[in-house]
Amino acid sequence: MDERSSSQVRVIVTGVGVVSSAGRTVDQFWRTLTDPLHASKSYSRGDGATAGTPRPADFSGSIDDFCDLPDAQRKVIRKALKLMNRETQMGVAAGQQALADSGITGQYDPDRLGICFGADNVAIMPEDFQRGVEACSSADGHFDADRWGEDGIKEVAPLWLLKCLPNMPACHLAIINDLRGSGNTITQRDVSANMAVAEACRSIRSDTADAVLVGATGTTLTTFNHLHAGFEDEIAEYDGVCRPFDRYRTGSVPGEGAGAIVLEEMHCALRRGATIYGEVLGAASASAVRLDRMAACRTAMGSALRQTLRRSGQSPASIGHIHAHGLGTRESDLAEAQAIRDIFGDLASTTPVVAAKGHLGHAAAGSGVLELIASLLALKNGHLFPVRHYIDADPECRVRPVTRFDEPAGTSFLNVNMFGRGLASCVAVAAFSV
Amino acid sequence: MQRRIVVTGIGCVTPLGNSPTELAAGLYSGRIGVGRLTLFDASNFPVRIAAEVRDWDLAAAGLEARRWQHCPRQTQFAIAAGLQAARQSGIDDAMFDRERLGVYLGCGEPFEDFNAFTRSVHASMKSDGGAANTFTSTALRIFDPEVEREAEPDMPAIHLGGLLNARGPIANCISACVSSTQAIGESMRMIQQGEVDVMLCGGAHSTIHPFGVTGFQRLSALSLRNDDPESAVRPFDADRDGFVIGEGAGLFIIEERGHALRRGAEILGEITGYGSAQDAYRVTDSHPEGRGTAAAITRALASAKLNPQDIGYINAHGTGTILNDKVETLAIKRAFGQQAYRIPVSSTKSMLGHATTACGAIELAVCLISLQTGVIPPTLNHEKPDADCDLDYVPRNAREVSCRHVMTNNIGFGGQNAALIVSKYEEGSRTRVAVARAA
Repeated sequence: MDERSSSQVRVIVTGVGVVSSAGRTVDQFWRTLTDPLHASKSYSRGDGATAGTPRPADFSGSIDDFCDLPDAQRKVIRKALKLMNRETQMGVAAGQQALADSGITGQYDPDRLGICFGADNVAIMPEDFQRGVEACSSADGHFDADRWGEDGIKEVAPLWLLKCLPNMPACHLAIINDLRGSGNTITQRDVSANMAVAEACRSIRSDTADAVLVGATGTTLTTFNHLHAGFEDEIAEYDGVCRPFDRYRTGSVPGEGAGAIVLEEMHCALRRGATIYGEVLGAASASAVRLDRMAACRTAMGSALRQTLRRSGQSPASIGHIHAHGLGTRESDLAEAQAIRDIFGDLASTTPVVAAKGHLGHAAAGSGVLELIASLLALKNGHLFPVRHYIDADPECRVRPVTRFDEPAGTSFLNVNMFGRGLASCVAVAAFSV
Repeated sequence: MQRRIVVTGIGCVTPLGNSPTELAAGLYSGRIGVGRLTLFDASNFPVRIAAEVRDWDLAAAGLEARRWQHCPRQTQFAIAAGLQAARQSGIDDAMFDRERLGVYLGCGEPFEDFNAFTRSVHASMKSDGGAANTFTSTALRIFDPEVEREAEPDMPAIHLGGLLNARGPIANCISACVSSTQAIGESMRMIQQGEVDVMLCGGAHSTIHPFGVTGFQRLSALSLRNDDPESAVRPFDADRDGFVIGEGAGLFIIEERGHALRRGAEILGEITGYGSAQDAYRVTDSHPEGRGTAAAITRALASAKLNPQDIGYINAHGTGTILNDKVETLAIKRAFGQQAYRIPVSSTKSMLGHATTACGAIELAVCLISLQTGVIPPTLNHEKPDADCDLDYVPRNAREVSCRHVMTNNIGFGGQNAALIVSKYEEGSRTRVAVARAA
């Protein structure tokens, strides 16, 4: 067998990058999560959205937002910017940060570098169609859709469709950084990021890559995504605050952001003396679509947790903390707390649970990887961060959300995400030791 | 020993017919599925032709209208094809741990309702110069939430997960026109690495929609032969001028060989190779020498532990655009060397049109049919030789070819490439069979 003996292969994290409402560098991001002063500040209300909207306000999509780059790469990105929608820009910026952080540029044969991203369906932007609609409107302001084929279509930008493809963050990153290995984009909403991590590990284990850039990007703030988010979940309309696991939680809060990590085969990374954030021990995804919503989420998440523990050789007692999905809706948090209880038993009362959505809101497909990075930084720094806006314990959610700034992170964690139709994905990560 | 992955169920919905049997009949009779675009009024569009799934009828496909009518066409196609594949494989009646059953599809983006969207844009421009508030309030009033919730690329996978009572991973990927090819390849890898035993995989898509035609027409990718639809897709022909939008679905039940044998399932073929590669060149164009396409092919051969001379037929991406067919030819030569001139290569898009993210899955069904019948479908409309395209493209007529391994190759926007190899199923260890044959 010329494949790596797959059970022996160890996959480690050697670079991270973020664009988020808590900061658009990794340092800022961690500072915000762990800053007691910040925790009392509230977000300003965003434009167009109906709730308080955590968004990376300092991310404008200008070339300086793509981290400190060599001139050649700046040129390529600047040229490509007109083809990138906001999700793509955020994803590319996070990816560039992660690659720079890992220092892998120039270290590998490009054919051995893969990329796997998580993304959402890209909603069509109204502004891309304004000129076409105008061209189909008469002087008295009457719009005639039947004229589209003749008058409207030619007003649409020639490369418009390429802005709408969810695989664009991965493709731009591959082009900018000459990643010629396998490339894929998983569009499985909230569970996409953990699934992308799992797929990248599979690719390294099957010896088709030495390193894979994994990331995810998303927004529920653009006009149409926002509508869709509202159709899918309860939104915390009334005060615009996401309170994961809190007794008085009212719903999710739309947000946006992207994150990326570099995964590498251990020997390759050690040979080049890489900085190591942690080791991916295992991953699993599960589903239970046929059941009703609550039972489906509880069952799927329980199954993902149980299988991830088994595949990683871990037990509930060995897990330092859980990074929960913590969407902040009544049902989702309850189903999640029940699933954790189902698998962890009484240890659910003592295992610390964090949920970065209290800070970040719901960045759709992007959330999963931002949460994974928050926990990687907690491993590195040795302590966790409180679940923002969590004040009153919900007697029904029998888990232990973190409320202190000095809570130890432990040496391993589970990052879990779920999607309300009965899908869950989980990744186990541990501090690295040879 | 590496786990082997076999196909035990095939389902499809295509412009040539809505089952593998109908598809085979259409392919071998040389029927062309391209015609006048009828799904919306395209009479004043620059492009008025498409390869439509004709007379699509939920009831005729065995689906309850009330449950599925709010879903996009691609979801309806995926459900029909997925249930065909499941039925053929018999997994519904099989007793096994459903956590070992997953779904991985490459379904594309369903578009928004065109009239509701443009009306919302118009309302916002009239009242507040295009600001988001009026757009949103208008859209909230006129879009149907039930329809919108279904208009997501992952809904086919989710629905099928429920219908098959899958408890394993459910995923959808989008990597442009290689999506379903990758979904099948990644499913294969999940089984190989022991995470699951059975996967429902493939893809479905329909971009025959005002937004789809707008997007591809603006990219100058579409054939303008409106007056002669049947001759519009001309893969590898000197007079080719673009592709024709198609639609459909191809779904498969694939499973670990021992799992299939133990439950007595009929084995329809073995998936032996998968390769994926990025061009890392440009978002719009393929690498001029087809380096990503060649890499995907080479990786598929390596993963199948096969040599170029082992491949008996290539189902090409062959869209019929000037660039694709030229670059794909170069890539095949780059990957196969001198063998490239010996291997028959055909593009069934000449009959099926281009089903975008679903094309790879439908073409894998074509490959499995070819392995079973020993007859490979032709490239229709390939009449005038092009100096850049100098391989054996199987023009005009289907051809009897006895082969054991066939490849399907796909290329997508953004520099995406993927290839799969399917082989005739043979008992015993694959290595032992190969050694015995060599001796």
